[in-house]
Amino acid sequence: MRVLLRILAPLLGLAVAAAGALLAVEVALAWLRPTAGPLLPWPAWRAALEEATWRDAVVPAVGTGVAVLGLALLAVALRAGRGDVPLTGPAPEVTVTATPRALARLVGTRVRAADDVAAATVTASRRRVRVRAETWGEPTPATRTAVAGRVGTVLDDLAPARRPRVGVTVLARKGPR
Amino acid sequence: MTTTAPPPADTGATGPTGTRPAGADRAPAPAPVRRRARAAGARSAAGARTAAAVLGVLLLAGGTLAVLLSTGLLGEGRAARPVLDPLVVDALRAQPTLARGIAIAAGVLLAVLGLLAAVRAVRPERRPDLAVDVDPDTDVVVAAGAVAEAVSGQAGALPGVARATARLVGRPAAPALRLTVRVTEDAEVREVLRRLDTEVLATARSALGLATLPVAVRLEPAPAGDGPPRVA
Repeated sequence: MRVLLRILAPLLGLAVAAAGALLAVEVALAWLRPTAGPLLPWPAWRAALEEATWRDAVVPAVGTGVAVLGLALLAVALRAGRGDVPLTGPAPEVTVTATPRALARLVGTRVRAADDVAAATVTASRRRVRVRAETWGEPTPATRTAVAGRVGTVLDDLAPARRPRVGVTVLARKGPR
Repeated sequence: MTTTAPPPADTGATGPTGTRPAGADRAPAPAPVRRRARAAGARSAAGARTAAAVLGVLLLAGGTLAVLLSTGLLGEGRAARPVLDPLVVDALRAQPTLARGIAIAAGVLLAVLGLLAAVRAVRPERRPDLAVDVDPDTDVVVAAGAVAEAVSGQAGALPGVARATARLVGRPAAPALRLTVRVTEDAEVREVLRRLDTEVLATARSALGLATLPVAVRLEPAPAGDGPPRVA
C-alpha cells in the first residue's frame, strides 16, 4: 500500500496542479479576451449541465463512481501504515522493529530446523503468530509442545514489545519420507 | 530541537568532546528522542497519506451527496432542479469581478500546492551531513555516506549478522540512523542487539560527538546462503 501511495502521490499532485492552472488560465482568458474562444468547450458543457436535472440517470452513476474513487483513496491512505512489529530495543534511544513477514520467517526457520518437522508455514502479525507444522509420521502431543516451545524461545529472543498469541497446529505429512 | 548533553562522567576519561564513556549509566531517553528513533524506521509517508485521505473524503462526500440528491431524499424539489442551478449562475453574474478574482486565486493556489506536493513526493530522502566540533578554528563535516559505511561495516562484522545496511536520515541538527540488520539462522538476537548498542553505536556516537543518536533497527532474516559459510 505504501508503494501504491508513493506512486499515486506525485500523480495526484500533478492532477490538482493541472486543474488549478486550467481554472486560473481559463477564467483569466475569458476576462481579458472575451472574444477569443476558451481552451475547453465550457459553453457546451454549461448548456448540458443547465439542461440536466439531479434526477437524470447519469447523476447517480457519476456520483457513485466518484464516491467509490474517494473510498478507494481513503482506503489506500488508511492502510499505508507501516504495520511493523515493535521489538524490545537494547537501549532507550534504539528502537527495533521487524515486518510481519520478517517475523514469520524468523520463527519459521527455527521451527523448521528441528529434525521431526518436515515443513512449516508461519503467519505472523503484531497480535498473533500462527504456525502450521507438518511432521514425519503421526504427531504426538509432545511434538506440538516441542514446536510451541521453539516458537516461544524465538519470541523470547526477539522480545516483541507486546507478546503475540501463539497458535500451533501440527499435522502428519502425507506421502513417503 | 536541541538535546542537552549530560555532564561528562567524573572518571577523568572523557573523549575529546566530553562524551560519556561507554558503559556509563544510561538515563531513559526523553520522548522526543524515542519519537525520532521510531520515525527513522522508514521514510515518512504522513504528508501523502493526509493529502490522499482529505481528497478521498472530499470525493466520497461529493459523490454521496450527488447520489442522495438524485434519489430525492434531500427533497423532491431539489431533485428536479438542474445541475447547474440558475440561482448559482445568477449569484456569480451579480458579482463578476469578485467571482473571477476568487476563481483565479483558487486556481493559482491549487496549481502551486499541487506542484509542491508532486515535487516533495518525488524528491529522494534527505541525507544529512554532520558537522563535528573539533576546535573553534576547524570545521569538520562528516558525509552521511561515510557514517553509513562505517556503521554498516562494523555492524556487519558482528557474529550473528550476515549483512547490515545503514543510512543516516533526518536533518543535520537532528540526525538519526536507520540500520537494517540481517541476522543469520543461528543468531542470538538479544546478544546481537546488545553488542550493536555497546560497540557499534557507542563508537559512532563518540566519533561524531553526539550524546544521543536515535536509531531505528530493522531486523530481517538473512536469505538462505547469505553470510559466512557454515561448514568450512
